[in-house]
Amino acid sequence: MSAATTTADAPVHHEPSKFHIFIQIAMILAVITGVEVVLVYLPIVKWFVVSALVILSAVKFMFVIFFFMHLRWDKVFCTILFFIGLILAGFTMFALLHLFGAEASKPLSAAALDFARVAIG
Amino acid sequence: MSSQAATGLIDHHHDSTTSTGIPNKKLLWWAFLASDCMFFGALISTHLVYRLNPPPGNAVPTQIFNIELTSFSTFILLMSSLLMALAVNAIQRGNVKSTRTMLLGTMFFGCIFLGGQVFEFTHFVEVKHMTLSNSIFGSTFFTLTGTHGTHVAIGVLLLGMMYVRTFKPAAGGGLGMNFLHLGALAIAAAVAFIWFVPAMIQVIYGASLGHLLSLHAVPFTVGAVALIALAWFARTGSAVEFGEKNAGDVEAIGLYWHFVDIVWIIIFTAVYLLEYV
Amino acid sequence: MAEALVRSDYTGAGSPPAKSFELFARPTAKTGLASWLTTVDHKRIGMLYGGFAILFFLVGGIEALMIRTQLIVPNNHFVTAHTYNELFTMHGTTMIFLAVMPLNAAFFNLLIPLHVGARDVAFPRLNAFSLWVWVVGAILLNVGWLSHLFPSWNFGGAPSIGWFGYAPLTSKQFTPELATDFWVLGLQVLGLSSIVASLNFIVTIINLRAPGLTMMRLPVFTWMALVTSFLLILALPAIAIALVEVMFDRNFGTNFFEVSNGGQPILWQHLFWVFGHPEVYILILPPMGYVSEILPTFSRKPLFGYPIVVFSGAAIGFIGFGVWSHHMFTTGMGNVATAAFALATMAIAVPTGVKIFNWIGTLWGGRIVTRVPMMFALGFIWMFMMGGFSGIMHAAAPADAQQQDSYFVIAHFHYVLIGGATFALLAAIHYWFPKFFGKMVPEFWGKLSFWLIFVGFNCTFFPMHFLGLNGMPRRTWTYDSNMGWNEGNLFATCGAYLLGVGIFTYFAVLVWSFLKGQPAGSDPWDGRTLEWSIPSPPPEHNFAAIPTVHARDAWWYEKHHQDEIAKEKAEHIKAESEHGGIHMPDQSWYPFLAAFGLLFGAYNFAQLHHPVVMFGNQVLASHLPLAIAGLGFMLLSCYLWSLEGPGGYHIHLDADGKPIESHGAHH
Repeated sequence: MSAATTTADAPVHHEPSKFHIFIQIAMILAVITGVEVVLVYLPIVKWFVVSALVILSAVKFMFVIFFFMHLRWDKVFCTILFFIGLILAGFTMFALLHLFGAEASKPLSAAALDFARVAIG
Repeated sequence: MSSQAATGLIDHHHDSTTSTGIPNKKLLWWAFLASDCMFFGALISTHLVYRLNPPPGNAVPTQIFNIELTSFSTFILLMSSLLMALAVNAIQRGNVKSTRTMLLGTMFFGCIFLGGQVFEFTHFVEVKHMTLSNSIFGSTFFTLTGTHGTHVAIGVLLLGMMYVRTFKPAAGGGLGMNFLHLGALAIAAAVAFIWFVPAMIQVIYGASLGHLLSLHAVPFTVGAVALIALAWFARTGSAVEFGEKNAGDVEAIGLYWHFVDIVWIIIFTAVYLLEYV
Repeated sequence: MAEALVRSDYTGAGSPPAKSFELFARPTAKTGLASWLTTVDHKRIGMLYGGFAILFFLVGGIEALMIRTQLIVPNNHFVTAHTYNELFTMHGTTMIFLAVMPLNAAFFNLLIPLHVGARDVAFPRLNAFSLWVWVVGAILLNVGWLSHLFPSWNFGGAPSIGWFGYAPLTSKQFTPELATDFWVLGLQVLGLSSIVASLNFIVTIINLRAPGLTMMRLPVFTWMALVTSFLLILALPAIAIALVEVMFDRNFGTNFFEVSNGGQPILWQHLFWVFGHPEVYILILPPMGYVSEILPTFSRKPLFGYPIVVFSGAAIGFIGFGVWSHHMFTTGMGNVATAAFALATMAIAVPTGVKIFNWIGTLWGGRIVTRVPMMFALGFIWMFMMGGFSGIMHAAAPADAQQQDSYFVIAHFHYVLIGGATFALLAAIHYWFPKFFGKMVPEFWGKLSFWLIFVGFNCTFFPMHFLGLNGMPRRTWTYDSNMGWNEGNLFATCGAYLLGVGIFTYFAVLVWSFLKGQPAGSDPWDGRTLEWSIPSPPPEHNFAAIPTVHARDAWWYEKHHQDEIAKEKAEHIKAESEHGGIHMPDQSWYPFLAAFGLLFGAYNFAQLHHPVVMFGNQVLASHLPLAIAGLGFMLLSCYLWSLEGPGGYHIHLDADGKPIESHGAHH
């Protein structure tokens, strides 16, 4: 390790600056967030708002991981590694929500609960 | 590492000392983040399971949330991510000074976010009467967002350690100074997010500044002293050891910070916005 | 190639000259207590893991024998019902988290760096931290036993909630004792240890491979270690969250699992098994790896269908995340979910079966040598298949409704965990003992212990199939004499004693061999993988020259191309010594100190709301200050650890291959 690389005035060759890319991405992210907040108050059908929110959040998510977190410029294995966790987590969440959403799993309503309490005594 | 010494260049996207070309630390962090996905996956699942099948008498989120404040916090966290990315960009180009500025900015925005959360939690408990115990929504909400807040706080601490490390003298030594510097930083950050930022939010909502200043006089004074100490520690002195070769370390902490940001992107949508649809 | 080597991490070339922050001088002792507490050597860490794990394996075994003694005759009162609950809880928890998992971790530590041709793991100090954190978890789980000896330690005995701690058993209402809090924190700490260790192994296997060692040339054991590490980092977070939620319910008044306030106890079961089922593969995949190493060596053939075995292992790991609800068929999940999980469970039998056929294919036409490790490995195939068959029976949800919570299930999972995991581990211990201790185990005594264990095991657990189908529920303290379970239980208990004698013989022979055994050469079994190419026991730096891997069975290739390899090695040694010699990581106190801080913090945090009492006087109103002090000590240690830097020193080998250390020259 030569001392030359340790100070700011070291070799001329550097990573090209990504300053402008980052600023632009940040602007896009801010705009998307704004759109999301406005969207929930608009009188549009529910399914459209929900899917729009999911898609917009996913877009934000992807912008951050591929640009801010450098996945776009890194070895593809980093992407694979992270997506293993991401996909498994998504799949587990999906399964859990469905399991608890099934009719058989729903908790008792207040009335049914009272009835059960009385029946048990 | 010898290749860069031989040529004087650092390739930030290929590490010739490892089998895959990915630096060990970066690989470790990405694997950890994959693991953390499952961590938050389980937490968010818990929250949503109880939201989709609420028990009788649950709290009503839309009556409790303050969506303007949360949107602002989200924006702040996104911008802190930008500063973090710029810090990595700066150190990859060997610019230590700019790296320090960006790290400080990231920490500052992180503290604003945390301060917003402190205000939010206090408001929910004291004004809206939603506690950890009195509804299942309170249990899941506070645990989920509290865990995320803890992640942010750990991130601020890690960034602080990295910031302080940039002052390590090239000549060696300076352990005591390093310690005091980090201490001052930690105190300043803690005062900022526990007292200062929540107080400023209260001022925005109409509280009297003078009253809050006198109410929290002790912590504010301590925080001010810590800030002065920070300025004193930051005066440029002898040559430092930190440089472009440390880009990997800054990037690793950056990965963590951005991850906390993307988790918030999901929480903001799943926990807050979808309640309003 | 020499060029590539010099650029690699294995040599000390160009290590940074900058001084690191040091509070006190780094430890350099190579012998004595301090050398073991500060070690970063993967072989020593592996041996510590192994030693502690065998200790707990024996403790868990004694607990099992007490359980069987209680059940030997109907209406027995050998232990009280509460003690019985403690025994089965701690037997399960101990065997899974404190015996099989750390034994696997021991082999990961011992073998992975040798298999990939590295001098240590990627993060040596982190590795030491995993070990000591694991010890902390083990202490927290077992500390409750002390209250039986010292009644003033008011923990309410050992945990008694079953190894799965189903809500609402963990609710403050039903188990107000501290034992449950210790169980919650102990598991949490063990999870932390496993995640940290696994991250380290993932990076080591992926990034520290020797030149020429492509992923498809990795030994199958190392592949299985990689898959297992992924399972650990992805499965443990689910239980970490579940444990946090229980902890909050017990200590901070949340309602995650409190039915009276809108919680759903079933959520605990789901989160637990999201972790718990991958955990089953975490226990069994490394044993599949040992067997895949041992069978080819003693069949004198390469492993049959290597890519398929590797792929099946990865497939098992992946599908393993989609079958958790088959532990919950009787909870009423709805038909769609039940059918989906039943199908996935049947599907996971396919890659498992593929592996078994590949092992049989390896034996087919081989020149089979029945040494002791081979006996255990063959026993593994047979016994594991039997456990697998009853597993497929459980996959059929309607049939499972009959078997749920009966002794049939006990029989099933002991066939896969003893007949499977433990047989393979005993094979592995016997197989690698000569490598790491340099002594041979006498063949006769090894075979005797095998037959005792084999017969004892089958006598214990085969009758349980019938007991279960006859309706005997699991976790039952005692039973009436007219249930028709008398003969089966008597037989099983006698079998358990025989199994105990077998296990005792096995380890007694190992101790004898360690003290008096014949010296083993560097390659006593005529092995195929790289660890057999170096002396027994291996020197601290593992390899005098980093090997270049030319084939899947790297050491067999080296044995048949000696001239070529000798030339290559001379080149590597020359290149390395020109760049400062063999680079080794420095020892450190901080991993141990950080773990100590964690022990102090977690021990006090578990008792958070109780006053601190010393000699009958109340000293503090709560344990919070002590918990914070411990956590602070841990953070401080971690901070000093990060400032200390990896450090490092160089080893030069003289003409006889004796190492000479040079400290401080480069770091």
